[in-house]
Amino acid sequence: MAKLRVLSGKGDTAVEWDLKRVKAGDPDAVEAVREAERIFEAQRQRGATAFKVEPDQPARRLTRFDPQVEQIIVVPRVAGG
Amino acid sequence: MVLTVIALELLFVLLIVCLLCRAPYGVLAYQPRNGSARRGDWRLAHERAELLLQEMLSAEEYQQLNRRGYLEVASPSHLGRIYRVPHHQGQVKVVEDGVPVMALCVQSLEPIPDGDAVLMHKLMIEGNEDEYLRIANRFEPTLYGFIAFRPRGRR
Repeated sequence: MAKLRVLSGKGDTAVEWDLKRVKAGDPDAVEAVREAERIFEAQRQRGATAFKVEPDQPARRLTRFDPQVEQIIVVPRVAGG
Repeated sequence: MVLTVIALELLFVLLIVCLLCRAPYGVLAYQPRNGSARRGDWRLAHERAELLLQEMLSAEEYQQLNRRGYLEVASPSHLGRIYRVPHHQGQVKVVEDGVPVMALCVQSLEPIPDGDAVLMHKLMIEGNEDEYLRIANRFEPTLYGFIAFRPRGRR
């Protein structure tokens, strides 16, 4: 299951989608991908940064939503403290 | 008389210790501004963030974080540089070839639990180091701790 997680004051909120079901055209899976993409874009508009996270690999910044990515983590906007 | 004073002082210290032991550091360090947010909600967020952090880190990294109180993240572009990210929110120490060279202060504009803050630093360092360094307020090491490189408001 691919996952988009958004870090927030509540811990993190996650949207999941099954890549196989998306490819098969399952309406629920396709809707989940659309919702994930909507959240991704909304967070980016607010200044958040998205990263592709893979086991044993350094994180890589994502500028565009990719439903093929297994794990995306969105970090809220940051500033110097 | 002296014994009474000593006993009262010991009782006071004991009371403070008991109060501090009732809640984890993360709960004491942050008090939600939103009146409707309860301490229980924040505690749940804190626990959820810790579970996510444990999932994202390797077993060795998580052990290091718990044992030393910080996570070491290697710089992807500066040879020999290590960022020490504290488990509880605070300055990130920058160490080059074993020598502390500066401290960085970066924080989320939205309050997030400690576990998520650790993850935030790690992801930003690994995936967006130039921006991380550009945003951070820098502090140089002195004998007495770290002081700001430049006053606030001047870039």
